[in-house]
This record gives sequence, structure tokens and C-alpha cells, in this order.
Amino acid sequence: MAKKLVGIVKLQLPAGKATPAPPVGPALGQYGINIMGFVKEYNEKSASQAGSIVPVEITIFSDRSFTVRLLTPPAADLLRKAAGAQKGSGTPNRTSAGQITRAQLRQIAQQKMPDMNALDIEGAEKIIAGTARSMGIKIVE
Amino acid sequence: MTWLELSVEVDHEAVEAVSELLARYGYNGGVVVEPAWTPGDEGPEFTYDPARPSILRTYLPLNATTEETRQRIEQALWHLGQVRPIGPLQARTIAEEDWANAWKQFYHVLRVGERTVVVPSWLEHEPRPGDVVLHLDPGMAFGTGLHPTTQLCLRLLERYARPGLRALDLGTGSGILAIAAAKLGASPVLALDNDPVAVQVAAENIARNGVSQMVRALEGSLGAGSRMGHWLSGDFGEQDDRRGTQEEGRAALPSAEQRDDARLREPRSMPRFHLIAANLIARVLIILADDLAVALEPGGVLISSGIINTREDEVQAAFATAGLRQIERLVEGEWVALVHTR
Repeated sequence: MAKKLVGIVKLQLPAGKATPAPPVGPALGQYGINIMGFVKEYNEKSASQAGSIVPVEITIFSDRSFTVRLLTPPAADLLRKAAGAQKGSGTPNRTSAGQITRAQLRQIAQQKMPDMNALDIEGAEKIIAGTARSMGIKIVE
Repeated sequence: MTWLELSVEVDHEAVEAVSELLARYGYNGGVVVEPAWTPGDEGPEFTYDPARPSILRTYLPLNATTEETRQRIEQALWHLGQVRPIGPLQARTIAEEDWANAWKQFYHVLRVGERTVVVPSWLEHEPRPGDVVLHLDPGMAFGTGLHPTTQLCLRLLERYARPGLRALDLGTGSGILAIAAAKLGASPVLALDNDPVAVQVAAENIARNGVSQMVRALEGSLGAGSRMGHWLSGDFGEQDDRRGTQEEGRAALPSAEQRDDARLREPRSMPRFHLIAANLIARVLIILADDLAVALEPGGVLISSGIINTREDEVQAAFATAGLRQIERLVEGEWVALVHTR
């Protein structure tokens, strides 16, 4: 019998520094995963990227085994870096946090493509542009 | 400790922006995304479903400023809500016990290798003849027997642990490997861990398995490891001089350097082991290579595990430099376990 998939959770965590404290404990405890097992695996896999936020996708199976796959950095992080902004705008509908060019947008979309549910690069760009808009980052030609 | 769990439903395109906002306020910058997904026709296949909303969560420790932070997040979400549709911010209080024990209901009797059986302490089990039964409550420590790195070690212990061997389990966690070694005949067994929580859990498991006469759990490490924070903490790998290595109740076996000096003066004062199990991680194994070699009796067996396949070469190189010779290698998925002697 094939293993049945029972849950998928994505976590954004500081590379190499996950601990059993929230959000890891409550997010994974409910699925029956041994929390220390995940923490050890995540920290080992992400150790080389220490200092960044490295998102991770955990797929959980009916026998409580799980797989851990590191994902590309959050689009928000890449946008912030491209725009040279410290953080997104708290009021994106009113104030701007910065701007990026079309070319920068395409570059971020290409980087994020492997982890996105986009059919093509145009679809990926549209999603990243949406994120930029919600952060108050403008896209200029 | 009590926590406030904040959760919000957002559509596919808003996930990144809201994650960014929650990460700014959430404990340790952590954000949980529960995406909507649809199972495939068979097996573990799945597809994400961008048409349905995702649930995002973050956690705040409950204290005097929690409510103020919650209001700030709510305000920021309202602004984002002017750009994209965003659900209301839900809050609920959770206690550590709620999740720390939640996994227990999924933890069953587990057979590893040819005759090792891991039995959760709250379950009954009728052993078969020849079974090596480990009664375990891992609590918050590592080592349930479920993780491939632990299973590789248990399989190797079945092969190498024998009566009369003096053994060391370095980074014992729940004590699972030390107890297995003792039940396979090794004695005495020293179980060391840098994490006091693990030492306490290991001591309980040792008593539960009736091997207290053979196994001793202590806080500490080998030479270089005793100056290193626990690998889970942020100070991992940094030298910390404030923390003495000879504090009361801490076992700190001398470093390779100190030990060489000591051996010249007092040839038989330092313990050496016929069998060492070190289920750690690649980086720590590399740092400890020399100390592991010195702690190993000539002709003894070192089982090292927790090695991710991408870093195996570095561990191999460090062990070779330390004068260790490989005699076996086991692989499970991305994880490698090595057996060395000297």
C-alpha cells in the first residue's frame, strides 16, 4: 500500500536556528511528527545559509514519516532587497516603500519559479507583482 | 509557558506579503503556512490549489505586550486588506503541553533492524524471543527511533555492541542508543549530552529500562564539544569561556591535546571506549574528529551518524586526518552512517 499524504506545512524559519519552540512545535506537533527530528534535519540542511530566512516545505505521511525540502527565499525578502527597502510599507494603500524595475521583477520571478504554482514566467511575474503591490513597492519600466 | 496563536486566511497571491508582515512580529521570525492542496490519484503525489485560501499562523509569547502587538498586526492587516482580500485575524491561547505531547498518539511500537523493538513507555508489548526491547518516552529530546539517523545507529549497534565492551553514547538525547548498547551487553555505558533536558530524559529512560547499573547519563561532551553550545542553540559552534568545563555535575572528558599530556604522566587515568556511538551532525563530527579518535581504544569501533550526504566527504576527510579507518558505511535516504576503527 502506498503511503498516504496527510499534511503539507510550510514554515519560514531562520536558517540553522530552528528550535522546538513555536512556530515549529505547534505547527508540527498536531501532525504527530517528532519535533526534534524535524529541527535536527532543518538545521543541518539550512546551516550553510545562516543569517537568512529559509522557508521549508514539510510533507507528512500516514505513518508519521516526513520529508523536508528547503524552498527559495521569500519573495518579500527578494523584493525588499531589490528595492533597497528595510521593510514593506505598513500602509501599502497609502505610502510607498520603494520601487523596482520590470527587469528586476522578471529576475525575482525566475528565481522563485521552482516553488511557485505558476504555469509560465508571466504567471509568476503576476504573482510577484501582486506581492510587491501589497508591500507598497512600485514597479517601474 | 503560554502562547498566543494568531491565524489568518488569505488568498494565494497575498501569502508572501502577509508572511512578511507576520514574520516582523512573530516569535523567532517564524511563520507557518498551511497551503490548500489536493491529493493525487495514488501515493504521495499532490498539487497545490491556488484557488482556495491558505492559512497563515504566527506565535507570540503571552506577556504584558502581547495585546499591543496583536493590535498592531491587526491594523497592518487592515491596510493590506485594502489591496487584497484578507480574512479576520483569529487568536487563541495555547499551552506548551498542548503541542509538546500531541505527537504521542501517533507513536507506535517500532521494529528496527533485525531484533530491536522500540516501545513507547505508555504502550504494552509482547516481545518475541531474542528481541531487544527499548522502553522509551523521548519527551522533548531527540531519539524516538523514527528518524533514519537513529535507525542506522540501531542497526549498526546490533552488529557491533557485545558483552564486555565499554561504550560511550555522545549526544545521547533520549538515551535510546546508550540503552540499546547496554541491552546488547555493553557495560559500562556513558551517555553524554550538552542539553540538560536531554540528560534528564535519558536518565528517566535508563531507569525505565532497568539498566541503571550499566548506563550513566551525564551533562557534558568530549574535549572540543564541551566548549560548544548545544547544536540547537544560537551560540552553536562558538567558544564560550564563561562556561567552565569542570562545573560540578558536568562530565568533561579532556580534549585530545590535554589528554595526550595527561597520558604521558598517568597512562591509565583516562577512560577509553571500545564502542562509541555519535549520532550528531556533520559539522560537530568534524569538530570532534580528533577527540573521538583519542577516546577510542585501538581496535575499537566508532559509529557516527547524522551525516547528510552532501557533507559526507568532509566528515570522511576529518576522520582520516584523525587517524581513523573506515570499515563500514550505511545509507538511508539522504542520511549516511559510518563505522570507523583505529
